[in-house]
Amino acid sequence: MDIQNTQSQMRKGVLEFCILSIIQQGEVYPSDIVEKMKLANLHILEGTLYPLLTRLKNAGLLNYRWVESISGPPRKYFVMTEEGKVAFGVLLQTWKEMATAVDQLTQVKIIIANNIEQAVS
Amino acid sequence: MNKVININFQGRILPIEEQAYEILKQYIESLRVYFANEEGRDEIINDIECRIAELCEDRLKKGTVCIAASDIDLIITSIGRPADFEAQDGFEQNTYQNTSGNNNSNFYRDGNRPKRLYRDEQNKVLGGVCSGIANYFVIEPWIVRILWFFLIGINILAYLILWIAVPSTSVKVVGGVRKRLFRDIDKKVIGGVAAGLSKYFGIQVWIVRILFLIPFIRFVVNFRHMHLFQFWDAPDFPNFLDITFSPGAVFVYIVLWLVLPEAKTSADKLEMVGEKVDLNSIKNTIQNDMEGFSKRAQSWGSDLYNRNKGTNNSNEANASNQSTENHRSTEKRKGLLYYIGRIFTLSIKVFVYFILAIVGISLLAALFGIGVAATALLPLKNFILDDGAQTWSVIGAILLFVWVPIIGIVTAVIRKFAGLKKANVWVRSSFIALWVLGWVCIFYFGSSLGNSFSRHNLPAEQSIALTNPTINYVEITAAPKMKYYENNWFQFEPFQGFADEDTVYVRNLRIRIVQSKTDSFEVKIVKLSNGKTVQNANELANKINFELTQQDSLVYLDRGIGINKIDKFRNQHIIMTIAVPIGKRIKITNKGWSQTNININGRGMRTGTIDRISSDENWFDEWNEPWDNESYQYERGVEYKMTKDGLVSLSPMEADDLRSDDSKKMDDENLDKEIQLQKLKEEREAIKNDIKKLKEEELQKEKIKVVKVNEFKKDDIGSSNLEKMNQIGKAAGKLSDLQWVLDRFTH
Repeated sequence: MDIQNTQSQMRKGVLEFCILSIIQQGEVYPSDIVEKMKLANLHILEGTLYPLLTRLKNAGLLNYRWVESISGPPRKYFVMTEEGKVAFGVLLQTWKEMATAVDQLTQVKIIIANNIEQAVS
Repeated sequence: MNKVININFQGRILPIEEQAYEILKQYIESLRVYFANEEGRDEIINDIECRIAELCEDRLKKGTVCIAASDIDLIITSIGRPADFEAQDGFEQNTYQNTSGNNNSNFYRDGNRPKRLYRDEQNKVLGGVCSGIANYFVIEPWIVRILWFFLIGINILAYLILWIAVPSTSVKVVGGVRKRLFRDIDKKVIGGVAAGLSKYFGIQVWIVRILFLIPFIRFVVNFRHMHLFQFWDAPDFPNFLDITFSPGAVFVYIVLWLVLPEAKTSADKLEMVGEKVDLNSIKNTIQNDMEGFSKRAQSWGSDLYNRNKGTNNSNEANASNQSTENHRSTEKRKGLLYYIGRIFTLSIKVFVYFILAIVGISLLAALFGIGVAATALLPLKNFILDDGAQTWSVIGAILLFVWVPIIGIVTAVIRKFAGLKKANVWVRSSFIALWVLGWVCIFYFGSSLGNSFSRHNLPAEQSIALTNPTINYVEITAAPKMKYYENNWFQFEPFQGFADEDTVYVRNLRIRIVQSKTDSFEVKIVKLSNGKTVQNANELANKINFELTQQDSLVYLDRGIGINKIDKFRNQHIIMTIAVPIGKRIKITNKGWSQTNININGRGMRTGTIDRISSDENWFDEWNEPWDNESYQYERGVEYKMTKDGLVSLSPMEADDLRSDDSKKMDDENLDKEIQLQKLKEEREAIKNDIKKLKEEELQKEKIKVVKVNEFKKDDIGSSNLEKMNQIGKAAGKLSDLQWVLDRFTH
């Protein structure tokens, strides 16, 4: 059992969902996504973010807009499409179910562990 | 001290240190490689470039004068390197497969899943076939390897098939880094070719090195001299595959050295290791390509179909839509025409390329053939060429004029197919320079060789005494022990006895038949030679040692004109004049010497000979006549009778009758044949009787066949006995000729 692999797979499953939830709150610039995730203690490299955004855009969940900046050429801002909002709703639903399920299971384990400890002591 | 350059990067002008610029370029190149199979590759890279430019500008705003290498490093770290992407997240779909692949390596040992044959990626030496088999039978890999080694030869093919067909334990990475063959200069011994190959196939360096070294080891031990061209003679598989382990390896090494680029940048090095490549993945690539091609062809076909449909529909269109439909249909028609035009131009292009390819390939093959022949004949140089400049010029001509363009063309073709850039200017210009040097060599060689042959000796006629000149019939033939065969394969006629290392025997002889003024046979010879000076030519002519030995009616010619390393070949030849008395007969057999002369300078050589002789006034005037004069007008193997008007050929029957008077030997032979004939006749009678008895039986037809065969045999032996013998002799001669050529090649 490769713990690192499992970790990265867990993260991979959630990352797309996290990014979608950030964009769902409004128009956003990619580096802002990185910042916001960093605040939530989720680290992501821009090098992995861009391909993901492109993929989501190509899937029709996202769209982008060129926004003039104060200095230099315009920047690419991402927004969510209607399709994306629907997909986000489905994912949110799934996440809630998953979270409760996982919580329940892990809590049960903790309770059992506590019980054993008590029995031993 | 660093040079600062200004770059226009995604719409921003950035002053950047050259070093930093190099790093940035490499980084973007590595991204390009990493996202090679990603659908929106260009867009992703564009976005990342934009972001880098933005970050750089931020840095400049903060007061940095220019972007330094350290800045770029920081930026790259924040965005992440391809290696980081894979380690950190697992966004790439292939990571799923990667992880499952890692688990695979052990699962067949657990026995949880059905047992299947895999190539073991962990314990492999070459392709992991042996260790895979060992795993399958749960034995130690080295046992399989030793067994495999003992079977070497036949199992090479089996190995290749298994390598291709059996899946590897590491599942192929889809969409990973593309792999390219580089020369690994970090681990090079000579040119880094072996190291690059080992990286490419993911095997140990020493294995590749040993494969390259095997020919030398074998050559030194004299195990068996392998030749690059051996498979032309012996098309069996092990020998054919031995091409990899032959001196051809040197050739392969040189070509690879020239073709492969060095792995300089980190992106190159990434590509060098890249995705796991074995024969399986190569096969997959080809398959994908083919599928892609058929898909494209299909879509193109349906497109064409739709266009056609469109034109038809538009004709039936409503009046109201007439104008727009018409407009559209013309557009579509245009498209159709455009496609037809494109098909036309494409087919012409293909045709032209095809012709060019054929011409190119045949030129290359011709050049290659010349190279091989010249190299194979190189041992002969001692017998022709002067030491020093002439020898060196011929070696130079072979190497530079023939082999250099071959290597150059092969290199260029491989580069073209591999999609590599053209070789750099230095390589190309040095190739051209070498070739020009080859031209110089060949011109020098030609003129110097011509010079060596430029003068003739002063001819002098010598009589050769025959032991018994008064006989009625003379047959000129080759010495009985001498093997001489008409060589129709390679026209290296002057060098028949090439196997003898110290001396080769040249058989340049012309035999003239003239009328004798006395009643006995007379033989006169003229020794001729060329040389640098007249003196030199005279010397060489005097050294020609030529003798005749007579046995009854048979006159045997000498082995040939001896040529050795001191008395080199300068077109030494002999003209022998046989004077035949009136009423007597002569025959020049097929076994005699070659009567062809080497014409180094085309006709010039001949006229030279004639001029020289005519200038000598002691000689017959008839020498002034062209060479195809009457005295050469005879066929070999045919008997002639000298009459007052000249030679008259005799039919075999006449000859037999006349000869029966001459020699008892012939009589004996004839007697033998008559006895044989008698026997055959008796046999035929017996068979005829048999047939009569068996007439009603079904075997009748076969018997008749037997009779026919026997009749045929009888007729043959009865009439054209001698001709048949000659034919057999010729056939045997050709056979031995082939054998000789074969031997030469294998030596």
